[in-house]
Amino acid sequence: MEKRAIFSNRLLPYLLLAPQLAITLIFFYWPAAQAVKQSFFIEDAFGTTSTFVGFENYRTLLADPYYFKSMGTTLVFAAAVTALSLSLALLLATQADKSLRGAGLYRTLLIWPYAVAPAVAGVLWLFLFQPGLGLAARQLQRLGVDWNPLLNGAQAMTLVTLAAAWKQISYNFLFFLAGLQSIPKSLIEAAAIDGARPARRFWTIVFPLLSPTTFFLIVVNIVYVFFDTFGVIDAVTGGGPAKATETLVYKVFSDGRLGGDLGGSAAQSVILMLIVIALTSVQFRYVERKVTY
Amino acid sequence: MAGVLLDNVAKIYPGGVNAVRGVSFAVPDGGLCVLVGPSGCGKSTLLRMVAGLETVTSGAISIGARVVNDIEPMARDIAMVFQNYALYPHMSVYDNMAYGLRNLKTPEPEISARVRDAARILELSDEMLKRKPRALSGGQRQRVAMGRAIVRKPAVFLFDEPLSNLDAKLRVQMRVEIRRLQRRLKTTALYVTHDQLEAMTLADMLVVMNAGRVEQVGAPLELYERPATTFVAGFLGSPPMNFLNGKIEAQGLARMENGEALAYDAGHFGPPIGADIIAGVRPERTSFAAGEDGLAFKLELVEELGLGRLVHGRVGAAPYAVALPPGAPLPPGETARLAIAAGDVHLFDGKSGVRL
Ligand SMILES: Nc1ncnc2c1ncn2[C@@H]1O[C@H](COP(=O)(O)OP(=O)(O)O)[C@@H](O)[C@H]1O
Ligand SMILES: [Mg+2]
Repeated sequence: MEKRAIFSNRLLPYLLLAPQLAITLIFFYWPAAQAVKQSFFIEDAFGTTSTFVGFENYRTLLADPYYFKSMGTTLVFAAAVTALSLSLALLLATQADKSLRGAGLYRTLLIWPYAVAPAVAGVLWLFLFQPGLGLAARQLQRLGVDWNPLLNGAQAMTLVTLAAAWKQISYNFLFFLAGLQSIPKSLIEAAAIDGARPARRFWTIVFPLLSPTTFFLIVVNIVYVFFDTFGVIDAVTGGGPAKATETLVYKVFSDGRLGGDLGGSAAQSVILMLIVIALTSVQFRYVERKVTY
Repeated sequence: MAGVLLDNVAKIYPGGVNAVRGVSFAVPDGGLCVLVGPSGCGKSTLLRMVAGLETVTSGAISIGARVVNDIEPMARDIAMVFQNYALYPHMSVYDNMAYGLRNLKTPEPEISARVRDAARILELSDEMLKRKPRALSGGQRQRVAMGRAIVRKPAVFLFDEPLSNLDAKLRVQMRVEIRRLQRRLKTTALYVTHDQLEAMTLADMLVVMNAGRVEQVGAPLELYERPATTFVAGFLGSPPMNFLNGKIEAQGLARMENGEALAYDAGHFGPPIGADIIAGVRPERTSFAAGEDGLAFKLELVEELGLGRLVHGRVGAAPYAVALPPGAPLPPGETARLAIAAGDVHLFDGKSGVRL
């Protein structure tokens, strides 16, 4: 059914929308437009003059092997975080779904990480895995692992992946739990009578029925990794060692802020914006079709 | 092929609800047993224990020669049809029916043969086998659920109110089909319903339940003609049996609350003189008397059923209904006399409601 509010004053709906629109314009469209504009200019080192250079910034960017390395890093990071946080969240959700009695407490505990700011989450994990100091780091060293994420790129990547995934688990968990609870119990019972053991029930009945939720979460998590993990990376590794954890978002920051290449950084932001627009449009189209399994 | 035996089966849910309180009965091999009773009396719980979906608190359930209390659902050789059908929404009708066989690692050619065989019996077209359940009508979904049950050729079918989501007309049609199918396959079946008409028409054997207990077990007509308790008497039959309170005055004669006398068949061991009783008379076994004999009846309302008439009124303060065959005349005035044959009076204990 269509829900439509009736306004007697034709101006009123616009007035009600105005604050939201103003905020969006000032904090989103205006900077975005600035970035697009900026990406066509080159500024000198002192920021006094800027010259229009057309697509020069983009050309430089696409010729820069570091940019593609960063792209690769981002993809690996996105895949690792999404896979890790989705599978852990799904595991926790199936456990919570099984024993709903303890679920209240369980759920609250699992929601907490989501309320933690990315940088704080990063610092938490940094402390845990600080070589020589951290609880987890000392355990690893005792087990004979040569643990030093400050020097070892793969270990640094593992650490930011853990921190970023941990923060996202609670969000994924809530959606998976809701998804699981919307699957009628009788389907699982029918499958049990039909001779499917628990693992087979999960993969042939539960998992396919969760696929709309899973798809939604994959997109949300990728968007999260692409754009919201700046704080985690900044706190844990600062993009290092040797740019091993420099994702696209982090590169925008390090090139623009630290490297002073505003034009190149703006071009990178524009490309990132295009990626997020593509991802969200895929998601909207999918959600609108209401997902047929 | 196997019978089902329940021996003093009880179920207490973790929350403390005592849903089933010591139920015993045996379903012979190939029989269709209907569990009937009002909503909440524990029918589904009992069926789910037979299926293995609920644990048994005490007592024993056997399928064939084997006690199945601790056996998993899949190893019990049963198939169940759920009230909401529980079809797998992401699978085609064919895959829904094939699912159980695939779990048993049945070869695909045999699966195909069995699914098509079941589809033919249930009149599901090849084109329908390709559809998803959502693209089927309620009646078709019902058939698919039945198909899923029969392809596995289980020893026992379990049905939990399978027709209650269908409209009245389809319900009657599917009822006949289930009966026909069960006769044809000769598979033992346990069928749960709260609908007494469905129960009467389907059952070889009827189990009437009330508040977690069995009230009576027997053939439908046997229960209808000799109900063991006022509960069974009132539950089976529509309109339900009329009940009047009274006292035994002499062998074969009861004095009713309104002060009038009612004759009954004394039998071998009649109740003692002075005992409180409840007399039960079926509406269709009552007619209007021509003379001045019989209980006084005050007419209140007439319902035209097409198949006949239902005359509602009172005997003393107690409500009383009379079912008249088509064409039978109504009493001329507001009051009339009831003609009740002594053999049609059921006597129950005034306190316990047990048949005397
Ligand atoms: N999972 C459960 N946990 C606790 N109580 C239950 C559960 N299922 C059913 N009951 C209770 O057990 C009683 C019998 O329920 P049920 O077997 O579903 O009755 P019926 O199928 O005859 O309507 C009811 O009082 C119901 O509330
Ligand atoms: Mg029920």
